[in-house]
Amino acid sequence: MGSARSDGTDGGGDADDVPVLAAHKILIAGGFGAGKTTLVSAISEVRPLLTEERLSSAGAGLDDLRGVAGKTTTTVAMDFGRITISERLVLYLFGVPGQERFWFMWDELAYGALGAVVLADVRRLRDCFPSVNYFETRSLPFVVAINCFDDARRYDPEEVRVALDLDPGVPALLCDARQLSSVKNVLTTLVESISAEDQNPRRMASALPPV
Amino acid sequence: MPPDGRDGKWVRRDLGPVVRPYAVTGGRTEPADGEVLDLVAVVVAVGNDSGAGDDPIRQTPEHRKILRLCQRPVTVADIASDTALPVGVVRVLLADLILEEAVRVVRNRPAVQLPGNDVLKEILNGLRAL
Repeated sequence: MGSARSDGTDGGGDADDVPVLAAHKILIAGGFGAGKTTLVSAISEVRPLLTEERLSSAGAGLDDLRGVAGKTTTTVAMDFGRITISERLVLYLFGVPGQERFWFMWDELAYGALGAVVLADVRRLRDCFPSVNYFETRSLPFVVAINCFDDARRYDPEEVRVALDLDPGVPALLCDARQLSSVKNVLTTLVESISAEDQNPRRMASALPPV
Repeated sequence: MPPDGRDGKWVRRDLGPVVRPYAVTGGRTEPADGEVLDLVAVVVAVGNDSGAGDDPIRQTPEHRKILRLCQRPVTVADIASDTALPVGVVRVLLADLILEEAVRVVRNRPAVQLPGNDVLKEILNGLRAL
């Protein structure tokens, strides 16, 4: 189409003039009620997102399909946070639905992600086993952030590390998902751990794009 | 396309969340170009805004709304959020605009390789400055 290059003559509108926006994803995972949305809203403006997802057999028995026998997708509402790093660099935080029946969404969300935060609630530590397994299997860098709920016993992060059988390179730290400073600490720890990993030809290389 | 329910009649319940969102795509659920854009894929409008006039596709309000949002580079997630349309619907509508070269994909998937250290450093500094 006849869009002339703007050699300073035309008042913009040429896509080549626009600074390229780079968007990176960080996933926030963890069990139901671990504080994912709290964490995202502590550091960013939370925006709603509707996704249409294919119904998998995992949802069988949970999703009432009576009267909609031909229904093969379902609407999942999720939140995401947007952190503007610079004019051309934006970080997106996606809370990954933790329940097993949403796992079919994970591959798409994880593909190309910078890394992940697994939010752990020490009262229900086993809830984050699946997330830890998932990110270990995909070699996606992650940190375990132990959300300090007011009424939960405090554990040393090392105890949690042992309980989760984390690799030595995986940071585990305490956090308060309500506090900006604490959430910043979690995210910077994640990004630092990525930098520290050198440029290994690692992660997601084996993961296939979603089908 | 009649529903395959027992009595063959539409009942209100059948007009669930699947039907309504995809009404704006004319029932299409797959992007016309077969490309599934990532949530953080970046798209931008090509050329200027005005020429769209008589193209029937772009005359749907949703296409026009998306095209307006694409005047600056924007991600699929932001378009979906701004339009309150499900991501699947946005992908279908964007594919229409891409096929008619009104919109182009700046960056589909984030790189499989890590971003360089300079980008990581930029992210780190940005986070610390929050």
